[in-house]
Amino acid sequence: MIKKQQYAVQYAAKRAYVTTMMEVVGRALAALTREDPVARETIERLPEGFRFAMTVMPDGPGLMLRKNAQGVFVYEGAPRPGQKAELTILIKHIEHAFRMLTFQESTAQAFANDRMLVDGEIGYAVRLVRALNRLESIILPKLIAERAVKEVDDLPLTEKIQAATRVYGGVLKSLVDTGIKELSRQVRAA
Amino acid sequence: MSNGFYEFFCPVKVVAGDAALEHIPFELGNLGSKKPLLVTDKGVRGAGLIEPVVAACEAGGVEVPLIFDDVPPDSSVEVVREIAQLYLNEQCDALIAVGGGSVIDTCKGANILVSEGGLDLSRFSGAGILKKPLKPFLVVPTTSGTGSEVTAVAVIADRAKGVKLPFSSGYLLPNAAILDPRMTLTLPPHITAATAMDAMTHAIEAYTCLARNPLSEAYAAAAVKKIAVNLPKVLEDGSDRQARLELAQASTMAGIAFSNSMVGLVHALGHALGAVCHIPHGVCMNLFLPYVLEYNLEKGTIREALGELLLPLAGAEVYAATPADSRAEKTVEVIRTLRDELYTACKLPRTLRETGKVEKAQLTRIADVALDDGSIIFNPAEASLEEVQALLERAW
Repeated sequence: MIKKQQYAVQYAAKRAYVTTMMEVVGRALAALTREDPVARETIERLPEGFRFAMTVMPDGPGLMLRKNAQGVFVYEGAPRPGQKAELTILIKHIEHAFRMLTFQESTAQAFANDRMLVDGEIGYAVRLVRALNRLESIILPKLIAERAVKEVDDLPLTEKIQAATRVYGGVLKSLVDTGIKELSRQVRAA
Repeated sequence: MSNGFYEFFCPVKVVAGDAALEHIPFELGNLGSKKPLLVTDKGVRGAGLIEPVVAACEAGGVEVPLIFDDVPPDSSVEVVREIAQLYLNEQCDALIAVGGGSVIDTCKGANILVSEGGLDLSRFSGAGILKKPLKPFLVVPTTSGTGSEVTAVAVIADRAKGVKLPFSSGYLLPNAAILDPRMTLTLPPHITAATAMDAMTHAIEAYTCLARNPLSEAYAAAAVKKIAVNLPKVLEDGSDRQARLELAQASTMAGIAFSNSMVGLVHALGHALGAVCHIPHGVCMNLFLPYVLEYNLEKGTIREALGELLLPLAGAEVYAATPADSRAEKTVEVIRTLRDELYTACKLPRTLRETGKVEKAQLTRIADVALDDGSIIFNPAEASLEEVQALLERAW
């Protein structure tokens, strides 16, 4: 019984971590496509209005992005129940998502290990995986990035730091904007 | 070295060897079928390969009253619908696919419609959409290359929408694959070589790519050995039934291997070259195989696995005589030698230029298409556009 409770606590902690990381990754991908021309080129072929979701089975957590008219991703939060995206990566279990988002298993290796399913055009999934790789190459220290991607993009250190700063800054700004919007909503409601 | 995790699934009964066709009535009986619909193409029928199947069924007490022989080389949802309607109108109770990859994929599609109902195949496109077993389904391959008889996927074109619909489900797998040497005896040398190199590539990529696992490795290594030993024999004497059967088995084993560990950059490039220049898939595989292995080797991702393959590919003497740190390079050398022999025997192209169908100006487009191919995810090395272009230049 104690063991079962321990597992439950572990899974709850992992779910909390994955929920946070899904939001960070979603906002970071959006910031990356605003700041990095390589990432923008990677998603160039996705049509305007294209929605990409990554979610954990059976009911989240997850993230949803939409490509806007300027050719960059906009973070839309977690997918709502029943909401469809043009491309959804379905991670089969919270444990698999935790391994991916703690960079114990690269996205490509997670695909190879059948940790997830793709619902949508596989060519688009390839591009999204490439965008995720680019993100991890930029925002993670090289030692960690080497575990997260097959090959870390070879950026000069100063360029990497500048790019990472811009992405992290974008995430922060997006969090603050969302916080302000939420606060205003609550004030209006009150 | 394999990954710390894997999945492996192959519930297909393999019925292989002399008089394998004569087991079809028993297999149909086991599945409760009395009225199968046989699906094939005009080439297979014209080659006289349907007669032994029908005769074997009738002698075993199973009538085959219906034969659909109009499957085109690139199957489509319209053909799938036509077959499904015929099956339902005639109240058939099983499907038998006799042919290559297109016939088998078409039958997989038709089985979805006759089992699930309706005529809109696109509803079932994607991974894991099917939730229950389909109707009884047997496959009799007439080439030794695609491995479609043991793969849980099908790709069918929807011409009206201009897309290719992918289907992936364990339920697509047939109940049994019937490998009879009579079915490949008439294959001409060029097609025999190209399809065998397709199977060889399935095995080598299964063994060296990201999803390799102990079970697929075993199938892949055994398939490599069978192809290396028996392909030269078949090209020497096309009527060598035993060698033909060995190739058929190798193709099925390679199919089991790659459907459980996927393929990599050779397939990504092959799919792209096929799409842009309409080169047959087996030809593409033979063409790109050594170039991609060299590329992956230079990137330091497959040395150990590729070195291990020298044993099934070249035999114990060559393996033992090659220093351990040179075995990977030796494996590529042996593959190159085999390709040279195939070129001498039946002019199977080794370079893009030798195909006579590729313009140099098309290389950028081929690289571009390859980068969006799903197989590229499973390649152990991350390939950029520039690297793929350089690889294509090497293969020119």
